[in-house]
Amino acid sequence: MVRLAELPKVEREHLLGKACDPFDSKPWAEGPPLAQRRVALVTTAGLHRASDQAFSMFDLSYRVIPGNVRAEDLTMTHSSVHFDRTGFRVDVNLVLPIDRLRELEQEGVIGSVADFHYSLMGAGWLPHQIEPTIAELARFLRKDEVDAVCLVPV
Amino acid sequence: MGAASHYLESAGIPTTGISLVREHTVQMQLPRFLWVPFALGRPFGAPNEPKFQKRVLQTALELLERSDGPVVLEDFPDDAPRTSTASENDVPWSCPITFVPPQEEQPELVSATLDEMTRLEPWYEIHIQASGQNTPPVSGLAQREIVARLGDLAEGVREPEVETDLALAEWIRLGCDDLRNWYLDASQGQPGRATSSELRHWFWLQTAAARLIASASRALVHHPDPLVKMLALRAMVPREYLPDLAPEIGEHSWRER
Repeated sequence: MVRLAELPKVEREHLLGKACDPFDSKPWAEGPPLAQRRVALVTTAGLHRASDQAFSMFDLSYRVIPGNVRAEDLTMTHSSVHFDRTGFRVDVNLVLPIDRLRELEQEGVIGSVADFHYSLMGAGWLPHQIEPTIAELARFLRKDEVDAVCLVPV
Repeated sequence: MGAASHYLESAGIPTTGISLVREHTVQMQLPRFLWVPFALGRPFGAPNEPKFQKRVLQTALELLERSDGPVVLEDFPDDAPRTSTASENDVPWSCPITFVPPQEEQPELVSATLDEMTRLEPWYEIHIQASGQNTPPVSGLAQREIVARLGDLAEGVREPEVETDLALAEWIRLGCDDLRNWYLDASQGQPGRATSSELRHWFWLQTAAARLIASASRALVHHPDPLVKMLALRAMVPREYLPDLAPEIGEHSWRER
C-alpha cells in the first residue's frame, strides 16, 4: 500500500534523512520451537491504558499493558502527527495484535501469551538513548519467562 | 524499533519484529524483521481484518525459528486488504455535511469549529455506540474547551487559563489529538467507508478545526517556551499539509530543534 516511493515527497525525504547507523555488534539469541515459546509484544506506538499517564513529547519511559487488557481500553498519545490513526481508532489490533496473539496460543502456534506487554513512544529520541529502558524491560520479561518478543512499530 | 531489537537480543531475549520502513531496517542490519508494505500507522495491514492480521503476525513469529542470523529480513508478499475501511468502488469518500467556507479570522474559526462539531455530533455518538470505544480524552479537557483555548492561542494569548496539571506544550498537543480523534470518530460513524488518506485529507483540508489548529501553530512558533515552539514547528500540522495550512512554517522549519 505505502512504500517509500508512494509517500509524499516531504515525508519520504524526512524518513530517508533519519540516522539509522548499524550498531557495533550483531547479537542473536535463539530459543525453543515456536510452539513452546512464551511471547510478549513491545510496541512503539505510544499506547497505554486510558488510566495511565500520557506519554510526553520526548519520552523514554514505558507503559505496562497487562495481558488481559481489553483492546478497547487502550489509547494512544504518540507525539507524531505524521501517521494514520484512523485504523487504530477502529481496531487496536491493527497496532497491537493482542487478540491475534491469544488466537495463536489457542491454536497451539505459540506456547503462551506473556502476562505483560510493553509500550514505548517511538519519537524524539536517538537509538542509544533507549538502552536503559530496554534493559529494565528485559529484566521484567525474564521474570515473566518470556523467550520471544514481537516488536511492533507504528 | 531497531534499538529495542538490538538491546533485547543483547540481553539474551530472542526478538522478531515488523518493519514499516525497509530502508531503515536494511541499514541497521537487525535480527529477524518482516517488512510489510502497509501505511505508516498500520503495521498489521487493516483494521477489522483478523485473518489478515493473524497471517502477518504468524509470519513474523515464524522468523523466530530461523537460525541463519544474525541479520534476517523477509518481505511480506501481500498488500493490505481494502475491504473494511476503504470504498469498494472508485468514488472517493466525502463528508456529506457542507461546512462553512474557510475563514482566517480567529473568532470565526472558533465558531465555525463549534458549528462543525454540533453537526457532526450525531455521527460521533453513532460511532461510539457501534465501536464500543469510549476512552476519555487524553488531555482531560472537554472538546469545546479545547476549541476555545486553541482560539485563544491563535489570537496570541501566551498561556490561556486551563484547569490541568499538564504543562502548556502537553495539553496543547494532547488537546489537538483529542480534537482530531473526535472528528475522525465522527466521520467513521457516517455511512460509507473511507480510506485513511481520504479521512486525513478531509480533516486537514476541509475542516475549520484543522484551520484552527494551524492558526494556533502559526502563532506558537514565536512562543518563548522552547517545547511549545517545537510543538508548533513539528507536531501540530502534518508536514504534507504545511504548504496549505501554515506555509510560513514551511517544509524545512520543522527540522529546527
